[in-house]
Amino acid sequence: MTGSKVIVAIRVKASPAEAFQVFVDEIGAWWRPNMLFAFTPRDPGALSFEPGANGRLIETRAGGKVFEIGKIRAWEPPDRLVFGFRQATFTPEQDTEVEARFEAIGDGETRVTVTHTGWDSIPQAHVARHGFPNTILLTRLGEWWRTLLVAYKDEQVERG
Amino acid sequence: MNAALDLTLAALADPHRRHVIELLRVQPRPAGELAREVGLAPAAMSRHLRALKESGLVEDSHPAFDARVRVYALRPGPMAELKAWLEETERLWSEQLVAFKAHVER
Repeated sequence: MTGSKVIVAIRVKASPAEAFQVFVDEIGAWWRPNMLFAFTPRDPGALSFEPGANGRLIETRAGGKVFEIGKIRAWEPPDRLVFGFRQATFTPEQDTEVEARFEAIGDGETRVTVTHTGWDSIPQAHVARHGFPNTILLTRLGEWWRTLLVAYKDEQVERG
Repeated sequence: MNAALDLTLAALADPHRRHVIELLRVQPRPAGELAREVGLAPAAMSRHLRALKESGLVEDSHPAFDARVRVYALRPGPMAELKAWLEETERLWSEQLVAFKAHVER
């Protein structure tokens, strides 16, 4: 379905080769853990790519346990990278895919475009729970509480 | 609520049904017209329309002038849930790319 594709792009001051390399080699440093998109129900771990055509994107938790987020499906440095993107709550058949493209746009800059597809690709045979809307709701609720608590703390500091 | 979204996604997994949704995004249409546009036999289309109806994606009604005709239209609810999830995905990647940019340009 045309409406089920998410495309986000950004310009960075780096060559496509540099951007590609940092995207892959340093994902553990730039990725921001996100409650809503937590890969496993546990505390978030460190993300890393095992680079190359047969590589994968994994999350390693503090205890050393590894969760495979997805295999690399296209390895075309410095232009393009495609990998699977699964959360632990997905059914075995459910799968989404991320494509990252790196295009030189002059002045030493690169446009990085991420296309995320597959949210509507669940086979009909296996209709299982994954809890998207509830998670959205809970995350919003969590953010609201965090904001309240920060405001509360600031208030206490000012008074103290 | 989760079960509802599961049904939505399952209904959308079929290309014919996605085609129907695309057509209904423009305007409500009678079943016969949908079958012709998608290139399916009326019986096959009727099965797809039943699945879409069960998922809550579409609803049918009879026009006031003819009780034999069923007109199908999109229901906003389930699509809105999927849309909300896609918006969250977009938000995720916007945040990640901003963090990536800051990291690359550090």
